[in-house]
Parts: sequence; structure tokens; C-alpha cells
Amino acid sequence: MKPKIKNKVKKKIVINPKIVFWGLTVFCIILIVVSYRFSDIFSPVKNVIGSVVAPMQKGINNFGDFIEDKVDHFSDMDDLLEENKALKAQIDDLKNTNQILNQEKYELSYYRELYELDGLYDQYKKVAAKVISKDPNSYSGEFIIDKGEKDGILTDMNVLAGNGLVGIVTQTGSNWARVRTIIDDSSKVSGMFLKTSDTCIVSGDLELIDKGYINVSQISLNAQIYDNYEVVTSYISDKYLPGILIGYVSDIGVDPTKLTQQCRLTPVVDFEHIDAVLIITQLREEYDGISEVFKSDN
Amino acid sequence: MIIRAIVLILGSFILYVLQTGLFSSFSLAGVVPDLLMILVVSIGFMRGRTKAMLAGLLCGFYIDCCYSSVVGIFPLFYIIIGNLAGFSHKIYDDDDHMTPLMLTAVGELLYNLMYFVVFYLLQGKINLSFYIYRITIPRIVYTVLVSIILYRILKIANLYLLRFDKDE
Repeated sequence: MKPKIKNKVKKKIVINPKIVFWGLTVFCIILIVVSYRFSDIFSPVKNVIGSVVAPMQKGINNFGDFIEDKVDHFSDMDDLLEENKALKAQIDDLKNTNQILNQEKYELSYYRELYELDGLYDQYKKVAAKVISKDPNSYSGEFIIDKGEKDGILTDMNVLAGNGLVGIVTQTGSNWARVRTIIDDSSKVSGMFLKTSDTCIVSGDLELIDKGYINVSQISLNAQIYDNYEVVTSYISDKYLPGILIGYVSDIGVDPTKLTQQCRLTPVVDFEHIDAVLIITQLREEYDGISEVFKSDN
Repeated sequence: MIIRAIVLILGSFILYVLQTGLFSSFSLAGVVPDLLMILVVSIGFMRGRTKAMLAGLLCGFYIDCCYSSVVGIFPLFYIIIGNLAGFSHKIYDDDDHMTPLMLTAVGELLYNLMYFVVFYLLQGKINLSFYIYRITIPRIVYTVLVSIILYRILKIANLYLLRFDKDE
């Protein structure tokens, strides 16, 4: 069907749009089937286009940030002055809390040791990257970052922001990579309750994230879990490194099948305003080698 | 002819980069306006079905290249919408600014419904009212607002290109 269109364009022969429509539709359907069946066939094309788009998006994104900053600057001025007063009062409060937190930090490192997370979590090599574009369809939680294969990013690498899990790299180009966040509807992460070691499945849900939650399911009925327990990535996941904080649970209940428990989870990462992320440049497969050593040590 | 093709490729490319890059910073209620939709519908209104379908094919490929594991779904969406929008070419009038706005709204609704069916319904998520309320309606409103300005720019570009063709 394609050559016909070209003819039309060159010789100005008017062909029925109906034929064009069905031709293009069939063409698209063939593309869908081919790319679904042989997923690698289009990756060179995608890679080239992605490499061209990435730097432009980066530039435009910086410009957008700049404008946004300026706009915020003016609109926030009054708020800031008021906030400043309140914050000054808070500082004294915080000094106190800080003291307490410091004490709790020792406790935390003790717990980490217990879970063999100590060291490992900090030892992962990380690469920082900027988010340069977000999915044009407002539904899904995917975005593109400005680091790619050149910087050592590979598919299935874990992505963090702050100290919480953001998602996983699903596709890479030479200077860009696509990240699927844990709030995406198609995302499922094998998780674990830090305190009880009960495993669970953390799945993204667009409907719930509107209220700030995502779903946790497949928790054993025997699990003794309570609100505000931490969920981290589990040891049995084959893509996520273990011990990365995902969030805190609430609304615990039995699921409709009465066979497992389910609850909601508040992610530690603020997905609305995510602009910089860290990518752990170590894959799960490599990690398993290390953990073997750890286990034999103990 | 070649110039027109280049203008289309460059224009849609710029709109795509704007939609994914710049407008992410300006998102309202978590949605970004669908600039490519405005382009496809406007071309359908100004130039007819065939050209709108070709523009749709191009726009869809941009989205596919960066945001879809399967190639061909988004071109298909845009081709269907371009084809339907192209029917309105029969009532095209230079001073008519309302029709493209309404077409954009309808196109966006259709696009969202198709997206819902392909990516959600097939996954077993059936809460259509939530998606309509939370995403589709804000997106339509935002897209229509942006199209008020963008359509004028596209119309000027179109008139300029038409004049250029006559000179040739």
C-alpha cells in the first residue's frame, strides 16, 4: 500500500482516502504483529531516534525548569515569608528531634546488620541521571532519563530516588534509557516486610496512586503485620536488588479470596515531582554472586 | 512537495519534544496537553483525510519510538482519528475557529477510549469512570485550551505553505 501513497504525492493522482485508510491500518497491524513477535527488530531504529531526541529534550527540559522556577519564584514570595517565620520556630523543635533521631540511627544500623543489608545497600555503585521526558500518554508512569549505554546503564537496572525504589530500566539507547516506575499499572515488584520477612507483591495502580498509595497483595495470612511497617525489595526477586526501601504499609485487610492478606503502601518517593534519579549499576544476577559469599561468611 | 514534507516532519517533531519535555513541567492535574492530536486534527480539517492520516502515522511513530515496546499501536490510533477528522475538510472555512476545537475534543476523547481499551481493559482493569474523570476530562480541557493558540499558528503555517505552492 505504501508505494501507492508515494505515487499520489508525486504525480498528484487523487486516490480514495478510504484505500489509504485501510492500507495504513493494515500496515500498522502488520507492524504491531511483527514488533510483538520479534521485539528486537525495531530496536536500532528506536535507538537512533531516541539518541536524536534525548539531547533536545534535555535542553527543552532545562528551559522548562527555568521558566517554572521563575514563575514559582514570584508566586511563592508571600508564602515564603510566612513560611520563613514558621520554619524558624520549627528549627528549635527539629534540633531536639534530631538528637532523638541520631540515637535511632544507631538502632537502625543495628537492624541493618541483622538483615545483612548493612554495607551492601551503600556499596551499590550508583549513577545519577536527570529525568528528561515523561510519557505523553498521561496514564502510565514511565519516563526517560539522560543516561544510557554510554554511561553503563543496562536493561533491568534498579532506579532509586533519595533512598526509595523508583523503578527499573526497561529499555536503553546510547544516551537515554526508559524507566518504568513502580506506580505504573504494569509494574509488579516482589517485596518483603523488613520486620517479619514476609514476602508480598507490590503492584502499581493508577487509581490508587491518586490518593498516594499503591497495592500490596499476596501476603500470607499468618503474617503478623501492622500499619507503618516498612516494605523492602525481597531476596527472591530476580530483577530487583534486595533491601531497597519501597514504602510503608497501611489499611491491612484480608483479600476477597480469604486466602491472603492485602494492604496499601505509601511509597517513600514523591513520584509527582521526580526530576533526578540514581541508577544502581549492578544487576541482580551479579549481586547473587556476592550474596553467596555473604551467606557462607555467616 | 518536499518542503511540505520537511515542514510536517520538523513541526511534528518539535511538537513531540514539547509535549514530552516542556509540558511535563507545566502539567496540570498530572496531565499534559496532546499537541500531536491538535496537529493531526488541524491537518485533517485544513487539508483533508489523506494528509491527516500521513501526519498521524508520523506522530504515532514518534511516541512508539520512545514509549512503546510494540510498534504500530499509536500510529493506528492517530490514523483512525486523522481519518475521521479529515471528513470535516468539506466544511473548512478560514475564519472557522470553533470546529477544530470541537474536533480536538472529540478526537482526544476517542484516543483516550482506545488507549483505555488497549492498555487497561485487556489487563482486566474495568473502572472506566475513574479514568474518564481523572485523566480524560482534564486532558481534553487542557488540550482544547492549548489548541486555541496552536490552531492559529498551524493555520498561519498552512496558509503560508499554500501560497508557497502557488508560487511554485
